[in-house]
Amino acid sequence: MSYPTPATSVKLVLLGEAAVGKSSLVLRFVSNDFQENKEPTIGAAFLTQKCTIGERTIKYEIWDTAGQERFASLAPMYYRNAQAAIVVYDITKPASFIKARHWVKELHEQAAKDITIALVGNKYDLVQDDDEGQGEREGVRKVSVEEGQNLAAEEGLLFYETSAKTSYNVNDVFIGIGNKIPEAASLASSPEQNNNEGRIDLSTNASSNGNRNLCSC
Amino acid sequence: MAFFDALREKAVTTLNQVLDKNRNSGLTKHQQFCYSHHIPETETILSESAAEIGIKSDYSTDAYNDNLPFPQGRIYLTQSFLIFRDAFDRKNCSFSVHLSTIKKVERPPGSDYGFALMVSTYSKLHLTLYLVGIRSDSERFAQQLKIALKKNLVHVGKLQPFIQTCYSEYLLAKNKVSTEKVEHAPQGGLGLVFKFPGDPKESRDKTKMKLWFDLFRVDGRNLSLVRTPLFYKLVRVGLPNRLRGEIWELCCGSMYLRLDYQGEYNKILEDHKDQKSFAIEEIEKDLNRSLPEYAAYQSSQGIERLRRVLTAYSWKNPDVGYCQAMNIVVAAMLIYMSEEQAFWCLNVLCDRIVPGYYSKTMYGTLLDQKVFESLVQKTMPMLWEHITKNDIQLSVVSLPWFLSLYLSSMPLVFAFRILDVFFLQGPKTLFQVALAVLKLNGEALLNTEDDGTFISIIKQYFLTLHESAHPNSPNPKFRSITRFQELLVTAFREFSVIDEEMINNTRAKHRDTIYQNISSFVKRTELRNLPRTTNISQETLSLLYDRFYSVVESLSVTKGSGTSVMDYKVFVEFMSEICDWITDVNVDDERHFLRRLFNHWDTEKQGALTFTDLLVGLNSLVDPDLMTSMSNFFELYDTKGDGKIDREGILQISEDLLYITSPWKDGVLFDGITKANIENVIADEVYKKQVESGNTSPDQSEIQLPSDFQVDRDKLEQQQVERYLQAAATFIQRAFEYAQPEEEELLIKELAIDNSISHNAALNPNTPVYLNLPTFRMVVLADETYELLFGSTLREATHLERPLDTKFDPIRNLRDMFDGLLADGRKVATKVRLRMDSRAANGGGGAPPNSSNASIKSGAKREEEEEDQDDDDLGVISIDDNDKDLLLATEAQVVVKESTEKPRISRMESEKIIGKSDQNLIEFET
Repeated sequence: MSYPTPATSVKLVLLGEAAVGKSSLVLRFVSNDFQENKEPTIGAAFLTQKCTIGERTIKYEIWDTAGQERFASLAPMYYRNAQAAIVVYDITKPASFIKARHWVKELHEQAAKDITIALVGNKYDLVQDDDEGQGEREGVRKVSVEEGQNLAAEEGLLFYETSAKTSYNVNDVFIGIGNKIPEAASLASSPEQNNNEGRIDLSTNASSNGNRNLCSC
Repeated sequence: MAFFDALREKAVTTLNQVLDKNRNSGLTKHQQFCYSHHIPETETILSESAAEIGIKSDYSTDAYNDNLPFPQGRIYLTQSFLIFRDAFDRKNCSFSVHLSTIKKVERPPGSDYGFALMVSTYSKLHLTLYLVGIRSDSERFAQQLKIALKKNLVHVGKLQPFIQTCYSEYLLAKNKVSTEKVEHAPQGGLGLVFKFPGDPKESRDKTKMKLWFDLFRVDGRNLSLVRTPLFYKLVRVGLPNRLRGEIWELCCGSMYLRLDYQGEYNKILEDHKDQKSFAIEEIEKDLNRSLPEYAAYQSSQGIERLRRVLTAYSWKNPDVGYCQAMNIVVAAMLIYMSEEQAFWCLNVLCDRIVPGYYSKTMYGTLLDQKVFESLVQKTMPMLWEHITKNDIQLSVVSLPWFLSLYLSSMPLVFAFRILDVFFLQGPKTLFQVALAVLKLNGEALLNTEDDGTFISIIKQYFLTLHESAHPNSPNPKFRSITRFQELLVTAFREFSVIDEEMINNTRAKHRDTIYQNISSFVKRTELRNLPRTTNISQETLSLLYDRFYSVVESLSVTKGSGTSVMDYKVFVEFMSEICDWITDVNVDDERHFLRRLFNHWDTEKQGALTFTDLLVGLNSLVDPDLMTSMSNFFELYDTKGDGKIDREGILQISEDLLYITSPWKDGVLFDGITKANIENVIADEVYKKQVESGNTSPDQSEIQLPSDFQVDRDKLEQQQVERYLQAAATFIQRAFEYAQPEEEELLIKELAIDNSISHNAALNPNTPVYLNLPTFRMVVLADETYELLFGSTLREATHLERPLDTKFDPIRNLRDMFDGLLADGRKVATKVRLRMDSRAANGGGGAPPNSSNASIKSGAKREEEEEDQDDDDLGVISIDDNDKDLLLATEAQVVVKESTEKPRISRMESEKIIGKSDQNLIEFET
């Protein structure tokens, strides 16, 4: 049990299907920049960024992985020892949500037991109405907010919808993870209420284990 | 004579292929030969000889070649090539001259040598082969060459159109040192339209072009080029833009495929026009993200070419399909190559140069990362210690270098220089450069303690490759050396010890670990994504998974992980391994019970089962609930899904039940009732003994089994046999008795007309009847034996949890699976042979997993049973046309009569099985 110290290093891994915007999220967070037609990540990329939350400073060591299915077998190399993970999907691509579900299971089974996972539905800009209003464009969204929330609730994940393009909610993801990490370490297993600026934190029923699927008779 | 020689040659080559498989590289000697001369694998050595070579060209202006000693080495003849390599130094002189380019072969006049042949090519290159050895052997070589040339005549027509696509030919024709007519510049890379990367002045493109021009004149070009030290030198200093594509394909040998398969590229695209695939979806995602900074890939022309090449390859090799990084590699190739050139070059790259890099599991990539780490450890122990101490993940830095051939890591102009050498010298180049990068940054890297700094040092280094390596040196000559030049010198001088052999050895060392890691990952993923199977435990699931892949891999040529499916034949094999009730299956029998199971489980109706299909099926097969078990069985026959099984179906059920129950019906296995009987008999006996000895204490530990006691097994067996036959007879009788008529009205009408039907209208073959689920259940439940069959007998004789045969080596099978990933039609034959090789090489250890697995009966007995089965078949099928009651009775009698003989014959057999297969049975002979 360690005391929260300034500039804690946190190893964070990004997982998710190809072209959902993993690298773009990182680029937005690290350089506050956005690129169309970004070259696909080969293997993995590594970036760091410091993030100040309250009185603490967290130094994120971000491992941005390649999304294509066949690169999945490389992933264990990268999520090894990770304290946090962001599982990204594209809210306009249902298949990417299924893939996200798989990644969450894989992490629960294989990664560090106390890993903090955030589920992120990216490309919110695509469903946003042009006039910046509250409404959404019809028919573009393919994964509902509820679906994301439900998965997050089931598996004990943080949940956000973001847009790397407009930078909507991107920093909140990293702040949310940062908030959760020391508390998880210091408060151990006590349930926590951690609503950060109206973000939904569904961590209360956490610690579900992946081994319960496919149970025996 | 020639015929026998040819035959002998062939036998020898085949034998060599079988015996001389190099364990380290996993290649046969034959493959190694083809790979090292970059010729297609379809080539085999027809004849060979020691030889000295004289080289002369009509366009050679100076006579420097004449003054040099003749290179000595070995000359080989294959179906399409005349190949030479210097015995002492490969680089001194070697060639692979395509037979199509040979215009003339003659015996030179006045030769002082014993035997000489002068081979002249269309490009006016004259190769004099002075054959060394016994004259008759030399004669035979000449004879073979003549035959090969004659056979090759049909391919000569491909030469002319091919020449038109080679820039070297255009260059020579334009400068009038060729007899060929090449009037138009051949289609080349995008660089011709969008400019080549880099400054041609700076790279002295013109000078290089002139040097190559001279080389072509003297040493020949493309299909008939002689590789001399100058050739290697010119590749190393960097290829001129316009010739780069052609030299690449010449170096890696893809040129020969392009020659052989002219037009195939366009045909593939045409054949798959407008078709969709998963790979294409993936390709589309990346088209705009491939070298986006190069002008051509901001235009539709560049994007279109890239799309076509990647798509064509994904059709050509669906097992690889498309892998990210291929987009970058192909985009780079297309700057210097036409689509067709890039397509074939990509083929050779994926199949031969870096196999497994882009495969579905990327095992080649993972393996080479391990190899790289181990080479770092070997060559730079201090740095390695530092890396491990600080837990720096080296592969995150190096993996993209290998996978994208440095194209995504360093500025393109430099990456292309590395590619030049890579195509010439193969994958070792990647390692040499990678090691040199670490070496040159060694000092800085030793001061880093985290991945972040480590990565940024290297990133910075790549961005400054153009800068001076010694900016502070007082010597201007030193100052002018760039970091890139320094890198090449370090890579190819200092790390020249990193040769192919070392890489192959290191690969062999780590291969199994990598396969294991991947296989456990793949297995985990696949098991996790399976539907819920309530009747199968997690451990059993894992066993079934292994078994599935063991039979799939060993019995069929696979499509690789994830897409592996099981055809009917393999399914039968699989089921036979785990089900005691499966006896000989004729796979051609379309009406067989297993065929029915297979078709029913084949949810996609694709004639094959996925692992999920199989699992869902098995899950229902072993359902412990009697009612569910019966309805699952019923569903198999309810083909229309209307809850009705017609007359034909009922007959089929009873026939299948006879089949399923044959082990019990034949007294090979004992069911619960018989077991209970045996136990009773033993208990009686024990009890009797106890009573006799006056010991009536109920204390269990006191009970001793009499050692001399013999259960009258004949009798018990006989009882069971009769019980099963009775059950079968009763079943069909009752099924028809209680079957519902299809339409009541019809029945009434028929009854009215035909009064001769006395007892049961349903038995009249003209009356449509059906059996529904409740009736089926009732009929089954009415018989104790069949009730038990569905309740437990069948399930207990189905051993999902049976451990795999220990002889099954998952690693080896996995390796086959990975090989399968790279298979294409043409190679299937080779692979099959390889499999046979490895099995033979492994001796007894490589026996197929099924052969010794719980085989219930000896061969002799199987035959006997098959006959028996046939009798049954005939009996039941013919019912349709005859009086049921009568026939059923006789059929039962016939079978009973035959069966009474059998148990005695097979007693020895069944004794063994009882002892082995049934743990519940009390051992009564000890």
